[in-house]
Amino acid sequence: MNRTMVILFRNPLSLLGLLLVTLVVVLAVFADFIAPFPEHRGAVVDFVYFNKAPTARNIMGTDLVGRDLFSRIIYAYRISLILGVVVLAIAVPIGVIVGLFAGYLGGKSEFVLMRLTDVFLSIPPLVLAIAMMGVLEPTLLNAMLAVTAMWWPWYARLVYNVARSEREEGYVLAAEVIGASKYHIVFREILPNCLPAIITKMTLDMGFVIIIASSLSFLGLGVQPPTPDLGSMVAEGARYLPDSWWLTVFPGLAILIAVFGFNLIGDALREILGAEQ
Amino acid sequence: MTPVLRLLARRLGISLIVLIGVSMLVFGIARVIPGDPARIALGPNASTEQIAKLRASLHLDESIFVQYGHFIKDLSRGDLGISLYTNRPVTTDIAQFLPATLELVLVAGVLMIAIGLPLGIWSARFRGRFADHIIRLVSLLGVSAPSFVWAVILMLLFAYYLPLFPIAGRITDTYTIESITGFLLIDTLIAGNFQAFLNAAWHIVLPAFALALSGIGQAARLTRANMIETWDKPYIEMAQAYGYAPARIANRFAFKPSMIPSLTIIGLDFAAMLGNAFLVEAVFAWPGLSRYGVAVILRKDLNAIIGTVLIISAAFLIVNLIIDLLIAFLNPRIRYSQRDVK
Amino acid sequence: MSANRPGSGEDTGSVKNGSMERNSSGALLDIRDLHLGFRGYTGYTKVLHGISLSINRGQRVALVGESGSGKSVTARIVLGLLQETRTARITGDVEFQGNDMSSLNASQRRALRGTRMSMIFQDPTSALNPVFTIGYQFTEVLRRVDEKLSKEAAYLRAAELLHTVSIPDPARVLDAYSFQLSGGMNQRIIIAMALANSPSLLIADEPGTALDVTVQAQTLQLMHDMVATHNTAVLFISHNLGVVREFADRVYVIYRGRIVEEGATQSVFESPGHAYTRALMAAVPRVTGGGIPDIDDESADFHDPCFTHDSPIAGTES
Repeated sequence: MNRTMVILFRNPLSLLGLLLVTLVVVLAVFADFIAPFPEHRGAVVDFVYFNKAPTARNIMGTDLVGRDLFSRIIYAYRISLILGVVVLAIAVPIGVIVGLFAGYLGGKSEFVLMRLTDVFLSIPPLVLAIAMMGVLEPTLLNAMLAVTAMWWPWYARLVYNVARSEREEGYVLAAEVIGASKYHIVFREILPNCLPAIITKMTLDMGFVIIIASSLSFLGLGVQPPTPDLGSMVAEGARYLPDSWWLTVFPGLAILIAVFGFNLIGDALREILGAEQ
Repeated sequence: MTPVLRLLARRLGISLIVLIGVSMLVFGIARVIPGDPARIALGPNASTEQIAKLRASLHLDESIFVQYGHFIKDLSRGDLGISLYTNRPVTTDIAQFLPATLELVLVAGVLMIAIGLPLGIWSARFRGRFADHIIRLVSLLGVSAPSFVWAVILMLLFAYYLPLFPIAGRITDTYTIESITGFLLIDTLIAGNFQAFLNAAWHIVLPAFALALSGIGQAARLTRANMIETWDKPYIEMAQAYGYAPARIANRFAFKPSMIPSLTIIGLDFAAMLGNAFLVEAVFAWPGLSRYGVAVILRKDLNAIIGTVLIISAAFLIVNLIIDLLIAFLNPRIRYSQRDVK
Repeated sequence: MSANRPGSGEDTGSVKNGSMERNSSGALLDIRDLHLGFRGYTGYTKVLHGISLSINRGQRVALVGESGSGKSVTARIVLGLLQETRTARITGDVEFQGNDMSSLNASQRRALRGTRMSMIFQDPTSALNPVFTIGYQFTEVLRRVDEKLSKEAAYLRAAELLHTVSIPDPARVLDAYSFQLSGGMNQRIIIAMALANSPSLLIADEPGTALDVTVQAQTLQLMHDMVATHNTAVLFISHNLGVVREFADRVYVIYRGRIVEEGATQSVFESPGHAYTRALMAAVPRVTGGGIPDIDDESADFHDPCFTHDSPIAGTES
């Protein structure tokens, strides 16, 4: 682990990533204590301070109905992180199991599972989620469902590729020769070898899930108002450019900061765990 | 070149299977819709007879398998049904809106390749030096925001604060260009109206860049990673031992082999732009498939939703097919079976 | 740093400083007190502790040692490749045909490679670029000397050269890719390429170790004949004493970044002086087991000064 520490601390960018992600997580977790106006996460109207540029009272300005933008961004982080964690917690196990069995077993199950994966991968990611959200009611839960549906195939593909090459490796053959069960080989022999790649991808994907989820709500197909969401905040503010610039710039930067942080950590992990793509 | 033909046939076959799968998937999604699509389409004031008639014409009263059968039968005749939103055939709608989206995506794709690859090569060649750090930082920033955020930022900076580019649209209204291909950059040239061409090109700059930024970042990162992996191969050391110029080693001896693994993913990124175009079009009021797509989705216009997703998936599969052929062209291992020269 | 090293420079004719204490009139390559270290995460690692080695024109010199002893890095310093690695610290003199390699810049060093010196690698198949035809790669090699060489002329010349390494159907081989050919075939191609521009020095880093034994033997024989006809000097790097004995005129034994024994092949083999050399010889493959015998290499024997078989030449300094 010495090398890990060296890579992490020698590279200022990994440190920056750690810092940004910590910041985002702390803001999201302790939103109730940090947000200057916690009640502004909901449907609150303040006609005195509406559509105001940043001031000392509202460091990121206020929105069209007078809610503090900073408070809303903090709560939006909370939603984004919950969404990201839930999506990955469902999509990764599904994808990993499909990929492991397709890659290890081969034959018919390989053909069926991987063609199924191909079907999902053949619809551009956002389009599948958009189509699903179009049919389903736009709620947080459905947004999670739609993003999960487009996410698992990537893990299936990733694990499949590793498993298929590991299938031929000596240690797997050795395990087969001594009569280990398929179950044992798949989960005890092959899976541990996929883990570095999976973990790296999960870190990078936290950022991408945030991007996709915010894209859905940007199109009005995700989390609905008054629940604060970074994507719908940008969409709403875009109509008031350039005068009310803070309405779009701050939520936009908020997305950038969070995703950038996760990507920096993902890159550092890739270097540490030696996993490529 | 038979191996290439065999590959092409195989890929076409798989693409067809996948496309049928996509149609089933999309059809399935569209049918689990809560509520009655006929009622939603006709609005709350529609009479029961009207609804019943529409349900019958959409085969909504039959089993889902029969419905799918009807759908496939119509599809094979190039009929995607009538859009309940525009009251026109879905194919007509798509034919009207798709070219603008494709034009945007293609220009963004060209930007991605033309900027992303050289950045990646540079970054790999000067690994660990200042230029490398800057390129890595910029390309990581590029992939760290959704394209609508870049669209808003670019618009604010280069259309409002520095009014260099137009704020919205494909072309200034004063030009009337006959639509032949639907691609304004081509139609204006066919019409011989160079002014209009420049105007259209001027309009596409910001949306295309907004759409391309994450792709550029991704392409640069990928190219860098694969170049660095190739750099450790003995044949690169051999090239160095023969004293070839470093630029030549990078641009030729290392680049070509490293492109083979990169291409598949660059193809996927390119295809992702088909989805992201929705976001950029919304910001720049680009008259493409996005506005239509979002409108039909909000109105639960099933025929149009299915049609739009199918067309985009078909475009996606075509892109992948082209990428596969490109890989076969670059990789002699695919073109020739191994060890046939003894 | 080291201005008054003795030198040899018959090609350039430039005046060299220093006495002629060494028999340097024929020296093509002269390495004096070469040190190498790498800066890494965990600090500075010394790899070479003052190596001296010299090769005369047309001479076949072997550098023998186990992996990690510093053989390959020495070869890469001679080629001027390691000088481009930013973490590497190199001191000492490397003179090639009278050129002081450390005083040359990167592109001057590069100009020597592929023209006046060339290299053969361990695995011929992976040393050839898999996405270019043999003909393309051969043309590139030939153009190192004659930039304007036409493709047709290059193919003709390449076919001729392939013929000299006993490749029966050169035209077909030139149109093939490395993965379509056998390892032995690729090795012949590599040998032909390495000698195509008649370099005065060939560095062979464990050539053909990746091939099976009979093919390796054949290609080594071929290489032996080819360098003899071209009068090319060879720096032959190997851990295989059997091969070295047949191939080299002169042997340097390297151990942990130091030359521990040097001399004419025959005398080194007949009366190995240094404990490590004896250990290496005891390790020549036997049926009962391989590897270097388990001798405590912290023992005083292993720190003996360099054992030299020809008296006029001094051993390592330091």
